Amino acid sequence: MVSDPQRAPLPQHAKPPAALVTLDAVTVRYGATTAVDDVTLAVAAGDIVGLVGANGAGKSTLMRVLSGMTAPGDGSLKIAGLAVPVGYGPRQAHLSGIRTVWQELSLCANLTVAENFYVEQPDIAGPVWRRSYAERARAALKATFPDARTDPDRLVGRLPIAERQMVEIARAASAPGLRLLILDEPTSSLDATASRQLRDRVRALAASGVAVIFITHKLTEIIDVANRAVVMRNGRKVADTDARSLTETELIAMMGAAEGAAAATPRDAAGEGRTLVRLGGSWIAGGGAPVALAAGSVVGVAGLEGSGQAQLLRSVLDGATDARRDGSAAFVSGDRARDGIFALFDVLTNISIGRITRRAALSRLSYSAEAAAARPLCDRVRLDPDRLGSPITDLSGGNQQKALVARALAADADILLLDDPTRGVDIATKQHLYGVIRETARSGKLVLWHSTEDREFAECDRVLVMSAGRVHSDLGPTETGEEAILAAAFHARATDAAPSGQRPGVAMAKTVAANALRNAAIVALVAILAVMMLRNPMVASEFGLRLLLGPAVALILVAYAQMFVVGGSQIDLGVGAFAGLVNVLAVTALYASPLLGLAAIGVALAGYAAMALGIVVARIPAIVVTLGASFIWYGTGYMILPAPGGTAPDWLRALTAWHIPGVPTPLILILLATAVAVAIHRSRTGTVLRGMGGNEAVMARSGWSVTRYTVLRYLIAGSFAATAGLSIAAASGAGDINAGGTYTLLSVAAVVLGGCQLLGGAIRPLGVAAGAVTLALIGALLGSLGVSTDYNAAVQGLLMIAVLGLGSVVIARGDG
Amino acid sequence: MSALARQRWIWAAAGTLLLWLALTLVSDRASLSSLVGISRSAAFLALVALGQMFVVTTGRGNIDLSVASVVTLSAFVTLTISAGSDARLPLAIGAALATGAVTGAINAFLVLKARIAAMIATLSVGYVLATATLLMNRQVRSFEIAPTLRFVATERVAGVPIVALVAILAIALSAWLLNRTIWGMRLCAIGQNLDAARLAGIRTDATIAAAFIASGCLSALSGLLLSAYVGGAFLDMGRPYLLQSIGAVVLGGSLIFGGASTAIGTAFGALLLALIVTVMQVAGLPAGAQDVTQGAIIIAVLAASGLAARAGVRRG
Repeated sequence: MVSDPQRAPLPQHAKPPAALVTLDAVTVRYGATTAVDDVTLAVAAGDIVGLVGANGAGKSTLMRVLSGMTAPGDGSLKIAGLAVPVGYGPRQAHLSGIRTVWQELSLCANLTVAENFYVEQPDIAGPVWRRSYAERARAALKATFPDARTDPDRLVGRLPIAERQMVEIARAASAPGLRLLILDEPTSSLDATASRQLRDRVRALAASGVAVIFITHKLTEIIDVANRAVVMRNGRKVADTDARSLTETELIAMMGAAEGAAAATPRDAAGEGRTLVRLGGSWIAGGGAPVALAAGSVVGVAGLEGSGQAQLLRSVLDGATDARRDGSAAFVSGDRARDGIFALFDVLTNISIGRITRRAALSRLSYSAEAAAARPLCDRVRLDPDRLGSPITDLSGGNQQKALVARALAADADILLLDDPTRGVDIATKQHLYGVIRETARSGKLVLWHSTEDREFAECDRVLVMSAGRVHSDLGPTETGEEAILAAAFHARATDAAPSGQRPGVAMAKTVAANALRNAAIVALVAILAVMMLRNPMVASEFGLRLLLGPAVALILVAYAQMFVVGGSQIDLGVGAFAGLVNVLAVTALYASPLLGLAAIGVALAGYAAMALGIVVARIPAIVVTLGASFIWYGTGYMILPAPGGTAPDWLRALTAWHIPGVPTPLILILLATAVAVAIHRSRTGTVLRGMGGNEAVMARSGWSVTRYTVLRYLIAGSFAATAGLSIAAASGAGDINAGGTYTLLSVAAVVLGGCQLLGGAIRPLGVAAGAVTLALIGALLGSLGVSTDYNAAVQGLLMIAVLGLGSVVIARGDG
Repeated sequence: MSALARQRWIWAAAGTLLLWLALTLVSDRASLSSLVGISRSAAFLALVALGQMFVVTTGRGNIDLSVASVVTLSAFVTLTISAGSDARLPLAIGAALATGAVTGAINAFLVLKARIAAMIATLSVGYVLATATLLMNRQVRSFEIAPTLRFVATERVAGVPIVALVAILAIALSAWLLNRTIWGMRLCAIGQNLDAARLAGIRTDATIAAAFIASGCLSALSGLLLSAYVGGAFLDMGRPYLLQSIGAVVLGGSLIFGGASTAIGTAFGALLLALIVTVMQVAGLPAGAQDVTQGAIIIAVLAASGLAARAGVRRG
């Protein structure tokens, strides 16, 4: 057994094997749907519970209750015998030793593996924390996956999906004080060996007193590892038995609809209409014959969740080559908030948008004509026509869904694509929608219907069962019962090979191209310096470098300010003006009295950091706050010093006027600034700041305050910008509020050239330094090539477009 | 949506009215002559702001940072090509508007096909235009303005500056496009939910491209009129329009995240900003304080609406 020294001992009162967590008569409702219905479940230390159920049985919702993401509507949750306090949330679940590995991974992609361990478990003190966390990450990975070779210093975003899943599992399983580990489909991207290793680790954890809940569609794994099997169906717990003696068939039977299978709606024989959709090629498992779908029928698209059903519908909508479509198509989304409703429109506009897609752009929009056209559709879906004028968000989920179906009907397309249209819809509406679907098919349309509720396929004439993105079976009208579909789905899953990776050659070429682009700034800088030295060897001399790099110092400092803002997925359009303001303060207040000057700069910095509050608390987009603030910085500076002038204090000038023979001073200043930026970037604070930029919600769940760190982010950025203002004053000896103006856009350019991502918090200090110097040198380069410096800006702009444009091309290829 | 938008522009309108009243009370000589000046400077701004509004409507934080460069460049193009002659004026106007349209098309291409964030794409294009402007600046031989253009830019009809009439026409056209055409509905839908718009069968790329091109054309129109009004062109003449155009859009009640915009509101936003500047001038505020006030007002309005939205969510 693997002993784990980091785990805190269980509290004394848990000594008799009382249940570790207890769910008592828990019910969760989403609108009209009851996702979890009166479930009672006790899990004791050392239990390994296998939780199974068909799609939409309520497993994930139940786990959300345990991990504090969803509050139960009724019933209670007890941890170690004590009812959880009001306001039990993810943070409290964490503190109680409950860790969950969700299907959608919750790592920060822009942090390294070791850094991801740090932000979740920030308990190791000391200055060598990076090495400690690298060791912890390596040990944690080894403890679960002995063959893992993941480098703890690699960015998570660059790891293949299977390794990411392993990191996430290892992190949760090694959490200090772990008492309950919830694994939601943990093996979906793991190969057989890793999956077996995970089960070994689960057994070891259970032996050391940790409880584990294991959710998977791979039933053999449940039978192998669990000592209890809990089966859910339609939100209810239908079985809780010893798992070791079970067979797969028995489990499937328990999950299926043994009781009260809703009698399918009586239906006419499917009409033999013309073929509207032809699925072939990569959509058919084993390269089988193409599937032809004819008008007049309702075709279900089934399979375990995430087997490619939604992608199939979208391919048909897009008319992809392997999913040829012969007729127009309309789409109904079940994820209403994400890709269904237009939240700012009223109900009428939400419906009529389906009608207008084929009309000319400048044709007139008449609300009365649209209303007249929408009324019969409202009747068809039983939506109260009086509500056409209400905002769509005032409607219940069921009524919103009716409006979306009406939108698709309004398009009067040949093919109706339904992407789980009854998700979260009440039973009466569901029954009515089934009728609408049948009617639509009877009127000569083809309906392609993906559902996460297997029961609904009883309404279909035909069901295609998918697994791993391919159609495995094509079930006829007599086989569309829930049990037959479940069996087919599990059978398909079992015969599927482990997910295959990308072809190595392609991946390699892509990595090389991506790396070259990420380091575009460094490549460009080396090229520029080489060209300039070839034209004029004096460039390489100390004097030449001092002359060339002098102007780059302030730009680098402003660029670092911008970089830390960009690290938070924000952008600062006032950073140059702020540097200008500090420049003015340096030659006025600071010259008059160092104390007064420092106080003034401090006040300015406080104002700068206050922008963070506007962004976090008042939710103003950063780009607008900073643009507005730029006027404040500029105006204040202008009031203090309307015309260029003033005098920089001698001591400030002395700070940059020193000289070491043989070494260009600006180079030292640049290296110094870079060292500070890198140190902050790699510090604990910098790591948390980057994590926030990458995945704010996950960081908040791990207990980091978004407000505090946003203020800190702007304080750091402001300090760099202020230093830039001081350096301008030191270099020129005078002040000018306009001195900073051009730096704003150049700093954005430097950050982008340096390979930072505007969204997602991926920043690179060395790249930014190279980007800033490159931009500063472009003027000199053009001069040495005999090109007018008028082209300076154009070259800077085109360089940015080239780097970013090529970047998206590489990424786009990667997606394909 | 129209109901929501209709409510929001009221605030900008009310602000305009209040400030105007304050202005008339504070100063005796304010009233008519200053109002003419205000409406004229508001008109130049409104044209740029309407274009900015279309781009903002496309959502996901899209903003056109090239408007300032387009204003400047089109002023130079107009001057250089017309060379003070009425005969060459149609050509000059055509060239200036084409400059805007091509810029908008390039912006759209970079955003939609090269998949560069709108802000960075328009920023980069602005750099390239800055160089084009520098080069044109060397070509300019005279700052003579074609008489017809000077008439349009400086004269009044029945006391109303002609440029204000041009702006009113543009406002009406924009309002019609936004509220009464299929294109406007598609544009708002895209701004609210790009995925849903695509699934509903909307050709999103064409709709978004049109918004960028409209922005380029409107900025160019403003620049060509501005060149005639100030009687020349200079390198930074477009610069104030960058922040002010965004300011007019958000003050007018359009949502900065897109999906719901109001042309009338944008017009009042432009008028309000022009009024604020005038009030500050009349009150004798130093130039720097005027900037500070403008920046503070924009932040305050957004903070108020952000906090109100937050409170609304909590109540709902």
